[in-house]
Amino acid sequence: MDKAQREAIAKRILALSTADQTEVIVSAQNSALTRFTRGVSNQNVASIDNGVSVRAIVGGRTGVAATNDTSDESLKALVARAIEMASFAPSDPEQPQLPAGGPCPAPEGAFVDATAKADPFERARICDAILTEVEGAGYWSSGYVSTGESGITIANSSGALASFDGTDAQANVKVTASDSTGFAERLSTDVGAIDGTDVGRRAVEKARGTASPRSVEPGTWTVILEPPAFGELLAYLVSHFSAQTYDEGSSFCSGALDSAFFDASFSLYDDFAHPLAPGMPFDFEAHPKSRVTLVKNGVVRDIVTDSYYARKLKRPNTGHALPAPNAYGPQALNIVVAPGSKTREELIAETTRGLLISRFWYIRVVDQKKTIVTGMTRDGTYLIEHGRITGGVRNLRFNQSIVEALGAASFSNDQHRTGQYSYSLVVPTAKLERFTFSSTTEF
Amino acid sequence: MQFEDLGKRALDTASARGAQYADIRFESVRSERIEVRNAIVASLSDARSLGYGIRALVDGAWGFAASADLTETGIDAAAARAVAIARASASLARRRVGEPPRHAYVDRFETPMQRDPQQVGLNDRVSLLVDAERAVRSTPEVKVGRAWMDLWSTEKFFFSTIGSAIEQRIVQTGSGLQAMAVGNGDVQTRTFPGDIGLYKSGGWEIVEEARLTENAARIGEEATALLTAPQCPSGTFDLVLGGSQMSLQIHESCGHPAELDRVMGWEANFSGTSFLEIDQLGKLQYGSDAVTIVIDNTLPFGMATCGYDDEGTKSVVSDIIRDGVLVGYEMSNDTARAIGRTSNACVRAQNWEFVPMIRMCNLNLLPGNVPFENLFDDIRDGIYMESNRSWSIDDRRLNFQFGCEMGWEIKSGKRGRLLKNPTYGGMTPRFWNACDAVADARSWNAWGTPNCGKGEPMQTGRTTQASAPARFRGIAVGVGYNG
Repeated sequence: MDKAQREAIAKRILALSTADQTEVIVSAQNSALTRFTRGVSNQNVASIDNGVSVRAIVGGRTGVAATNDTSDESLKALVARAIEMASFAPSDPEQPQLPAGGPCPAPEGAFVDATAKADPFERARICDAILTEVEGAGYWSSGYVSTGESGITIANSSGALASFDGTDAQANVKVTASDSTGFAERLSTDVGAIDGTDVGRRAVEKARGTASPRSVEPGTWTVILEPPAFGELLAYLVSHFSAQTYDEGSSFCSGALDSAFFDASFSLYDDFAHPLAPGMPFDFEAHPKSRVTLVKNGVVRDIVTDSYYARKLKRPNTGHALPAPNAYGPQALNIVVAPGSKTREELIAETTRGLLISRFWYIRVVDQKKTIVTGMTRDGTYLIEHGRITGGVRNLRFNQSIVEALGAASFSNDQHRTGQYSYSLVVPTAKLERFTFSSTTEF
Repeated sequence: MQFEDLGKRALDTASARGAQYADIRFESVRSERIEVRNAIVASLSDARSLGYGIRALVDGAWGFAASADLTETGIDAAAARAVAIARASASLARRRVGEPPRHAYVDRFETPMQRDPQQVGLNDRVSLLVDAERAVRSTPEVKVGRAWMDLWSTEKFFFSTIGSAIEQRIVQTGSGLQAMAVGNGDVQTRTFPGDIGLYKSGGWEIVEEARLTENAARIGEEATALLTAPQCPSGTFDLVLGGSQMSLQIHESCGHPAELDRVMGWEANFSGTSFLEIDQLGKLQYGSDAVTIVIDNTLPFGMATCGYDDEGTKSVVSDIIRDGVLVGYEMSNDTARAIGRTSNACVRAQNWEFVPMIRMCNLNLLPGNVPFENLFDDIRDGIYMESNRSWSIDDRRLNFQFGCEMGWEIKSGKRGRLLKNPTYGGMTPRFWNACDAVADARSWNAWGTPNCGKGEPMQTGRTTQASAPARFRGIAVGVGYNG
C-alpha cells in the first residue's frame, strides 16, 4: 500500500468518526528474511500486511481498535468499535489535545528502492557469499539476510497528516569453530551496502582469533566493548530517559536533571536523522521529532516526552510517542553516542590488561534504580595484555551498574549502527575502565 | 469463497508451480487488552487480524509466504511467492533437509472453557481492573499501580497437500496486578499472580481464578515493605523456590535447551545453542531422580494446549527428563526425522504472518510427594524466593542468574524475615542435581508465559511450565549484589 492509498484511508477514517478527537495510524509492510544454518536455509520467509489503528477520544475517554482489513465496510466498523470502547473507559482529566503536526521531511537515505525490490535470490546470493567465506575456513555458521520496506501514515482530527516510507537491510552471522565462535553484522537502509563476503570474513576472524580460549578470573576488569556489545548494554539505559520513568521516580536521574552522572567524554542523543540510521521523522502522534540531547559531556540534560507527558510535566513535546494504546510512556528510539578522539586500535594499545568484547547476550535488569544489569559475553571475547590482543577467553557473566561503568569511559572516533530491535543504535567502541564480572561459564 | 476453497486453490497453485508438498494455515486472530495504570485506562484495545501463511517444499528446501490478501489473485501470488522462495532456498542449500509430513488428519479442536470471555461486558471487565488497581495503591509509597487483562481468541484452518483439514479455536486468557513502590532511595516491585499474571487457556474463569481484587492491597503493602527490608545475604544456602519461579527455572534451563532446533544449531546466531547434545540422549544425568519433566500439549489450561501443532501433527505427551535423565527433545517433523524419531507436535507460529518453528509448549515438572509446608522442615539456614524479577542465562543454557521480587530467611525449618533483592545462580545440571524435593500436587499449578521470544524474524510464543515449589541444596545466593 503506497502513501496515497494510506492517506486516503486515513482521511476516510477521520471523515467517518464522530468522536471528539480521532487519530488514525495506517501502516504497510513487506518484509523478507533468509535464515541459514550449516549450509541450509532453515527459514526463508516473506510477509505482506497492512494495518489500520484508530484512537477515538470522547469526553476524555479513549478507545483503540485495530484491523488489517481495509475494506470500507471494515473501516466503518472499526471506527464504531473504537468509539464504543471509549464509552467504557473512565475519563482522563490529563488527556491533552492531539498534536497538530507540522513539517517533518524524511531524512536523506531512509528509503532505497533496491532494498524494497530485493528478491529471495538476491538474499540467497548474499547468504552464499557468507557461507563461502565460512566454509573456506572449515567452520560452520548460522545467520540471516533480511530486506524489507515499510510505510506509515498518521493523521488526526487536529489536522496532523504525516507519512514516511523506509527500507531496511541486515546481515547477521555467528561462526562456530571447534572451541570458539565469532560474530559480525551489517545494517543499512541500502541492500547494496550489505557485503556478504565482508560480513563472513569478519565473523571468521573472530572465531579464529579466539580459538583455544583460556579461563580468566572474574572480578573487575577494564573492558573495550565493540559496537554490538556497547549498543546492547546501552539499550538498558534508554528507558531511564522516558518522561514516564522520570516522573514515576524509577529512573536513575529522576529529579536530577542537569546533574553529572557520567564521564565527561560521554554524550548521548536521540537523533532520527543520523546518516547511519535515518528513520521516521515524526512520532506515533504525528508530532515532529526533535533531536534531543539526553547527556552532554557527562551531564543529564533532557528527557523525551509525548503530548501527554509534555502537558503533565510542563515541558516541550519532543515527539517521542509510541503507538496508542501505550502504557510505556514516550521512548527514545534513535540512540546516538558521540564519538571520541582515539581509534579503536589506540584504545586497545593503551590498555595494560583488559578484555575486548564483541557481543553481549541476555542482559537483564537486576536493580532498576541503580541500573545494575547482568548478562554474558558471547561470540568473541579477547584478552588484552600490555596493549596487545593475546588470545581468546572463555565467556563470563557480569553484574554491573551501567551508570557507574560510564563514569570512567572513553570512546573510539568512529560510529557503527547496531541493534536488531525496534529502535536504532549508532555507537562507537567504548572503553570502560571498571566493569565487574561475577562468574565464568564452560565455553 | 470459503477457507477450504481458498486453501485448495493455494495448494493447487503451489503444486502446479513445482512444490512437492505445501500447506496453508488461515488464522483469524482477536486480541483484546485492557490496562489500568494509576487510575487511568492506559490501554483499551481490540485488534483483529486475518490472513494466511503458505509453506512450500521444493527439492528438499522450504519457502514460506504470508499475506492478508484473501482474493483469488492474492492467494495465487502468495502461493507462487512461497514456491519461488523455496527455489531460492534450494539454490543456497548444500544438502536436502525437508520432507513432507507423513500423517494427514481431518479433525476439529476447541479450547474447553466454562464461560466465553465475550459474554462478559466490557464495562464489567474495565470495572474489575479499575477497582483492583485502586486497591493496589494501598500505601503512599506505591507510586505506580497497574492492573491488566488479555483476552486472545484464534481460529485456525489448516490444509495440506497430503489431505489434512484441521479446524481449531484456541482461547487464552490472562490478568494480573503490579505495584511499584518508591522510597528510601529504592524502587521495589511486586507482581501478582506470579511474575507476569495468571495466563492459561480457557475463558473468563481464568480471570476469576486470579482473584485480583482480593489480593491487590496485599501486593501494594508487600512492595512497600520491601523498601525497608534487609538485603538478601550472599553465600551458599539451601533454597526453596515458589511455583511461579520454578516455572521460570524450567522454562530457561530445560525448556529452551531441549528445543531440538537449538541443539542442531538452527538458532545459534540468536537464541543460541544447547548443552543437551544429541550424543547425551539417554545418558546425561540432567537432574536428580526427583526431576521428571514432560511435554503435555493436552494439559487442561496449558497455554500451548491444542489438538494439532502448526505442521498438522497431533498433540501428544512425551518425556524430556525421566527420573533426572535426558530422554527426549521438543521436536518438529524435520528435526525429529534427523535423529530417527517422530515429531511430538512442538511446532507453533506466533500467528499467520510467521513460519511455524519449534517452540516450547507445555513443559511441566511433575509434582513430588512432599507437602509444600514441609519443604522447609529440615532446612537450618536457607532462603525462600518467590516471583521472578530478573533472568539471564548463557547461550548454551548453562550459566544462569535469576532474581526474585521477594525472599524470606528460613531458620531451623521456619520462614523468617522478609528479604529484598534475592538472587541466585549456578550451572544448569549442577543445579537440577541439587534438587532433593518437589512439592506435591496440591501446590502444582499451570503457570503460563505469554511472551517467550525466539526466531528470526522474532516470534512471541505462549507456553506453560506447570510446577510445584521445589527445594535445592547448597546454592549460590545473593549473586549480583556482591560483584
